[in-house]
Amino acid sequence: MARAERPSRYINREWGCVYKPDADFRFCMIYPDTYELGQANQALRILVNAVNARPGMAAERGFLPAPEMCDELRAAGLPMFSIESCAPLAAFDVIGITLPHELAATNVLEAIDLGGIPVRALDRAEDDPIVVGGGPCAYNPEPYAPFFDAISIGEGEEALPEGLEVICGLRQRGASRRDIWRALAKLDGWYVPALYRWRSREEAQDVGSWIEPLEEGLPTTIVKRLHGGFAESSAWEPCIVPFAEAVHDRLNVEVLRGCARGCRFCQAGMMYRPVRERSADNIVNAVVVGLAETGYDEVSLTSLSTTDHSQIAEILERLNKRYEGTGVRISIPSQRLDSFGARMADLVAGQKKGGLTFAPEAGTQRLRDVINKNVTEDDLFGAVDAAFAAGWRRCKLYFMIGLPTETDEDVKGIARLVQQVYDHAKAIVPKEQKGSIQVSASVALFVPKAHTPFQWCGQIPPEEALRRVNLLRHSVKYRAVSVSWHDPKTSFVEAVMSRSGREAADLVEGAWRRGARFDAWSECFREDAWRDAAAELGIDVDAVAQTSYPTDYVMPWEHISCGAARRWLAHEYDLAMGEQTTPDCTFDRCSGCGVCFQLKADNQLAGDRND
Amino acid sequence: MTDPNAPRVFRLRCTFIERDRLAMLSHLEVAHALERTVRRAGLPFAVSQGFSPHMKIAFGAALPVGVGSTCEIFDLQLRDYVAADKALAALQQASVPDLMVQDARYIENSAPAASVAFPFSTYEVVFDGPVGRIVVPEAITVVRKKKEKTLVVSEFLTEPFVVEGDRATFTLKAKPTGSLRPDVLLRHCELDASPITVTRIAQRANQFPPR
Repeated sequence: MARAERPSRYINREWGCVYKPDADFRFCMIYPDTYELGQANQALRILVNAVNARPGMAAERGFLPAPEMCDELRAAGLPMFSIESCAPLAAFDVIGITLPHELAATNVLEAIDLGGIPVRALDRAEDDPIVVGGGPCAYNPEPYAPFFDAISIGEGEEALPEGLEVICGLRQRGASRRDIWRALAKLDGWYVPALYRWRSREEAQDVGSWIEPLEEGLPTTIVKRLHGGFAESSAWEPCIVPFAEAVHDRLNVEVLRGCARGCRFCQAGMMYRPVRERSADNIVNAVVVGLAETGYDEVSLTSLSTTDHSQIAEILERLNKRYEGTGVRISIPSQRLDSFGARMADLVAGQKKGGLTFAPEAGTQRLRDVINKNVTEDDLFGAVDAAFAAGWRRCKLYFMIGLPTETDEDVKGIARLVQQVYDHAKAIVPKEQKGSIQVSASVALFVPKAHTPFQWCGQIPPEEALRRVNLLRHSVKYRAVSVSWHDPKTSFVEAVMSRSGREAADLVEGAWRRGARFDAWSECFREDAWRDAAAELGIDVDAVAQTSYPTDYVMPWEHISCGAARRWLAHEYDLAMGEQTTPDCTFDRCSGCGVCFQLKADNQLAGDRND
Repeated sequence: MTDPNAPRVFRLRCTFIERDRLAMLSHLEVAHALERTVRRAGLPFAVSQGFSPHMKIAFGAALPVGVGSTCEIFDLQLRDYVAADKALAALQQASVPDLMVQDARYIENSAPAASVAFPFSTYEVVFDGPVGRIVVPEAITVVRKKKEKTLVVSEFLTEPFVVEGDRATFTLKAKPTGSLRPDVLLRHCELDASPITVTRIAQRANQFPPR
């Protein structure tokens, strides 16, 4: 330990840890990256609390050690361990791994293997832990399928403890791993890949599904679980205060879940429906209690689109009043352009003004209509005017390159828009402060995501992406405006993980066996490991990323349902091609996505969003 | 230099322990953790004025990562007077066991800062067995900010090691120009046993403790 870099991330004993040494049933929830990146993860916090709330069950946290530490542990013959009791992973009854993004797949294998557990469910012995997964990437579970005994689809607050109760009961009766699989497969929202045969492409297109149950009585569609009590449940989610410097190290209060804006590239906007708001009283109370219990001096009001909350102005007014002059900062992670006016600018202003981030996503109104962004240039300029008038001096704008139907005109449109934003800022800011204005554009490559209207669309080839970025760079004439672009070496991995079927699991394992891990860290990414593994398996990764399909093509995740009907997704795709927009049902009429019907739920708003 | 219009503050000097695994915390991590402890304790701490307001708290001399302590110090400025025993109880409620506040008492606002008031630190080393022989080098070369620097040990080590069974104590003097870290000194000594833990057990203003 003395040799480890930043040992504070491995030593536990933080404020807020829960210890249940007497619990018979032990669960370890793992974030498949280092402590710094995972400690503040919302899924980890919520699920550890939910399991610890059950009598007889203890939940601990686990993080992948830093790369050098993984090697040191292996060299010393030591396994990956949990934080609270420093126990080897193999000593737990159940291991849970959250799948936060597409570049964590090899880390999942690294964690399981370093924990002393066989990486494939079929190779695990009766006394090995049951390994379960969940999280955003579980919506296309197939590339991870063989590595998990079971995968939880959707919100885990209730599904995970329920699943653990079933496993606990069966293990006490000495049931086999296969019996546990069968029982989990029959629970709502649980998918047990080993109980289904993976069909060939022809068969799948013919039958309309890629999976075939190997036994009677198994569901053929797994519908996501919804935490029905979200809005009423307390917004104060007890959290651990780390010693080590970690990302998002502050009080995070989840104010609402779901976003129905309907951006057609956005997976989060599809998978967290319907929209559920917590009340202003609930949120303000959570901030007051949370700051007192943790000692944090910063709170973030988190959600996919916090400024959409129907009571956001009231919430900010109450918090600003209460914490004036105390040094407490109140921040909002994402600002919607069309709901960020002068009033909101004043309310989120506080004393310290960092950068402000907006996401127009596309440079022309035509393309913004295609993606259903539903913001106009006037919305953007209005927001920028308000922000710079309220004292902000830095503004970052997010865009995507390679969106379906994008032309060079759209790319040049990004340059035009960013320069106009700079002009607006210059007109508002006092003359002597003009030098402090910073306007930047951050450009990402479009990755087609499962369960979105753009799931059938291919990615543009890397050379074409580079050409378009260079076109953008040359189109920006202002020297004060910067364009940042991360070379998307990893984008084919993201596309493969987000679009492939079960065959990609061999690719993940092959890449990992060749040394791929920490793919999200640019200094660790091993493109050759992935390319070599793909070559050996005969998988054309570029084709997987770049192929477009007609909307009647059955995609490899169609047995998983987030509630949004495939017919609606296809209809949205058609509307996109016709440059037609669809309104947000929390402001306007229902768009018929099918979520409320499928999940027997409804949007739950704390007030009227149009007020 | 004192501003007659400045609001009155009350300066509370607190000592705390840093033990067991939490000896692995860096000075900055300890500082952050203590600020959060003070906030959890609900004490009326003073906040600096200016662009980036922050808690008025000052820390004693830094402890190297891996070295524990029974006698670390921080000074906290309060806006309102809180009885020292009440403040201590609140801080203890808000502390984790291995980073526990032990004592709190008010000091003069003019008293020297904790970081310079106690240049003499005594450390206790526990070895993995009885230690018979400790040979201290005359000089140690350390690398600081990519520059090599040679420290003459006798300028820092005020008296010989005191050995008792598997334990030894020694006292190091911090100088304005720099200090010799206890863990670095031990690494350069010839020893017939291996150190298991190193703990700062006293910080003093003067070389000899009052008798």
